[in-house]
Amino acid sequence: MNTIATRQSAGFAAFNDSPKRGIPWYVWACALGALCIPVGLYWDISWHETIGRDTFWTPAHLMIQFAAVLAAIYSSFLIFGTTFSKNQPAQNASVSVFGFRGPLGAFISAWGGVAMLTSAPFDNWWHDAYGLDVRIISPPHVLLAMGIAALMWGAAILVAGEMNRSEGPLRKHLEWLLVACGGNILILSMLFKLEYTNRIFMHSGIFYLAVSIGPLLLWNAISIATGRRWAGAIMAAMYTGFFLLCLWIFPFFPGEPKLGPVYQQVTHFIPLQFPVLILVPAVLLDLLHPRLQALDKWQQAAIQGIIFVVTLAAVQWPFGNFLMAPASRNWIFGTNYFFFFLPPTTKQAQHLFASWELTSVHFWRNVVFSFVAAILSARIGIVFGNWLRRVQRG
Amino acid sequence: MKQHSAVSNQHSAPGQPRSSLSASGADTFSDLPQRAQRTQRKIRNKILRSVLLAVLLLCTAGVASAHVGSPDVYYDGYAGPYHLLVTIRPPTVVPGVAEIQIRSVSNDVTRIQILPLRMVGVAARLAPRPDTAERSSSDPQLFTGGLWLLVRGAWKVQVHVDGRHGKAELAVPVTAVSTTSARMRRALGGLLAVLGIFLVAGLVAIIGAANREADLAPGEHPGDSKKHRGRIGMVVMAVIIVVALVSGNGWWSAEAADNARLLYRPPHVQASLQNGNLLSLQLEGPTAETRAPLRLDLPERPRVDDLIPDHGHLMHLFLVRMPDMKSFWHLHPQQVDAGEFSQGLPDLPAGDYWIYADIVHQSGFSETQIGEIDLPAVSSSQPTADDAGVANANADPKVSQLGDGYRMVWEQDAAPLKALKAKEAMHFRFRIEDRNGKPATDMENYMGMAGHTVFLSNDGKVFAHVHPAGSVSMAAAALAQGENPATTDAMAGMHHAPLSPEVSFPYGFPQPGDYHIFVQIKRGGKVETGVFAARVL
Repeated sequence: MNTIATRQSAGFAAFNDSPKRGIPWYVWACALGALCIPVGLYWDISWHETIGRDTFWTPAHLMIQFAAVLAAIYSSFLIFGTTFSKNQPAQNASVSVFGFRGPLGAFISAWGGVAMLTSAPFDNWWHDAYGLDVRIISPPHVLLAMGIAALMWGAAILVAGEMNRSEGPLRKHLEWLLVACGGNILILSMLFKLEYTNRIFMHSGIFYLAVSIGPLLLWNAISIATGRRWAGAIMAAMYTGFFLLCLWIFPFFPGEPKLGPVYQQVTHFIPLQFPVLILVPAVLLDLLHPRLQALDKWQQAAIQGIIFVVTLAAVQWPFGNFLMAPASRNWIFGTNYFFFFLPPTTKQAQHLFASWELTSVHFWRNVVFSFVAAILSARIGIVFGNWLRRVQRG
Repeated sequence: MKQHSAVSNQHSAPGQPRSSLSASGADTFSDLPQRAQRTQRKIRNKILRSVLLAVLLLCTAGVASAHVGSPDVYYDGYAGPYHLLVTIRPPTVVPGVAEIQIRSVSNDVTRIQILPLRMVGVAARLAPRPDTAERSSSDPQLFTGGLWLLVRGAWKVQVHVDGRHGKAELAVPVTAVSTTSARMRRALGGLLAVLGIFLVAGLVAIIGAANREADLAPGEHPGDSKKHRGRIGMVVMAVIIVVALVSGNGWWSAEAADNARLLYRPPHVQASLQNGNLLSLQLEGPTAETRAPLRLDLPERPRVDDLIPDHGHLMHLFLVRMPDMKSFWHLHPQQVDAGEFSQGLPDLPAGDYWIYADIVHQSGFSETQIGEIDLPAVSSSQPTADDAGVANANADPKVSQLGDGYRMVWEQDAAPLKALKAKEAMHFRFRIEDRNGKPATDMENYMGMAGHTVFLSNDGKVFAHVHPAGSVSMAAAALAQGENPATTDAMAGMHHAPLSPEVSFPYGFPQPGDYHIFVQIKRGGKVETGVFAARVL
């Protein structure tokens, strides 16, 4: 297959057929949507930790809804535009789902939108049945997260397809755009794991297990798809930078609780915690990348997984000690920020570690699972990355 | 009617008015000779006891506070110069929204703000931003609002009043517990099922397309191998989805079971009779389930070693003979050990007695433990101290005979049989008259208050111990105001001046049905019990 030859005339150039073809509007739209979701989610969590009560019209909600609306617009445009028009090039570069034709990413984003839509009444009923959960992870929230993830992965696949059909500067731009989409997905996944990555669990196995699920999949996939050696480190830097910026900026905005019980005096927005130090294993893995290339894929995944967990533990375990110390209770590290409903008797308020695992056997089991999760993530990432690199009808 | 009090034992005249429920089996049964009555009662009780108690336990899942089956709070109090009547309907699922209704008796209130606070601890001092209650357009003295109660346990609703006489505050205790779990409506279930099927089918189709066509060059048609690969992808995804759905269902079931475990059900007190007249009580204590760690939303109930006195007593024990409800007793057992109480019984007739034991925890969480005991006729001394009751009451819808020819009259609006409606907050007013029909002049405080009333449904499923200030326990009310309940009790007990011959209680029946109302007052040094019947629509 002569991919390069087909790039010139194929794909959705029909929707963007100027001689000097740039990045199509729908790619910008899906990239913008992918950016809005993590920002909106972070803002929403901070809103709950500061003010507590929200409405449909809360700015953070509007931001997430804006992303969903954008996804609905570009997905509908691409699917209906391809299905019902006589645009042969667009049809040639499409896949078929239920008789409709369109780029794969548009279908995945649309699926994500329906999943998000479904989660709304489900979540509402869940609250009626079991109360308004203060937990992030519940069945309807998982469905919502799957929807959001699909929306974001759909955007990434759309960008990947566009990238694979392009060349020259346009391809380079799209590569960076794909890395940016990957960074946003990493932020989203780390937001979803917040319950398990609290600093009080930095000496528990669950922390390392939770962190080990996913990043290597993303880093390998995007790195292979774009061919960018430092893609993983850049994505990790995006996550780190995003969390740090929010940590330092959010407290400038005033806010106070509108719900009780109030256990902590709160006068400004409460940011989330200092980022997990995944930047360190990301940089190390990207440094070692050329040496690992020659290895068998399973060996490569195994080494990546082991390096990831060991490096993470090597830096995060002692850093956890620091985050419990008085020296970290400042605006830089933010361990003195407590959400309003945190009882002063809790480990977090007292700057103490909590043991998630009740026995050492349980602890070591989770440590082993961390390695398994990291290795499997890496291996799946290699498979997915190779597929992503080939995608033409994204 | 046989009246017992701390110092009196009166026998009422025959031929007094019959209960409005005279057609019921209970009253028919009361016409039998005493021995036959006892025999029949025993047989019937054997059959009914387990059924009735089981029904009580099942049906009182909707229970909260120091009541059974009557979770709403009715409070009559003052915020500075402003006389307010407050109704709070707590949510049945916590976290959830409590509905607040505040009526100002006077028209000098301009604004009311409400906010939720915990009863004790740090969260009793740190306040969220208050909500402004909405003033009714049709009734300017009525204000309504809703407050989120985020965790289970003892709360208070802080009421900030602004009006012609300046600003003032009032705090009303409320208990938040989850008592139910909503079932999914069929329409919603159908909608979610359709969307779920669409999502599953869509995901399988997308994975098929991804494997079949996504990496083909534009215009290229998928060959057999690609089509096969697409089908394989769809099968694998279908298997993954099935596994995910089975796991998700297991997770959902576990969450539902976890929630069911945390639902509040009235605890059970174990009762036994020792030495012929000594009632021994063992409160239900913590269990392994209720001690589960790492949860913010556990009900604050499990301990039994943290009780505080409520108007002078750690426990207010009510014994009611079921099902005729003719023998009613309000006793105050002594604590022997943590969770263990004993009570010397007064002279009471045999029967199957249902137990309602009111207690208040240090957190301000008040609750009623329920139980049952089959007692033989007890011949003992007269009730002592604050203990009082009636051995052979006949409930009447209007007038109840007391000792010394006195009587208690239920003052109802308009016609005596004005329809009572469930969930309708109102004042239940009772006037005590002497044998000449003149207002009684020798009224006294009974345990620091003008009176105590028990609203009890005839099936025993609704029980509420109410005071002139409302349906909250006085200890919780004192804690809510930031006072020491013990000190407040002592001060309340010091009032000995003659009181009004009229006593009133704010309350609203939680559900339709037939009820008994037991009103206890003190006059001339004696505690007397008036008994009334009510039908609620």
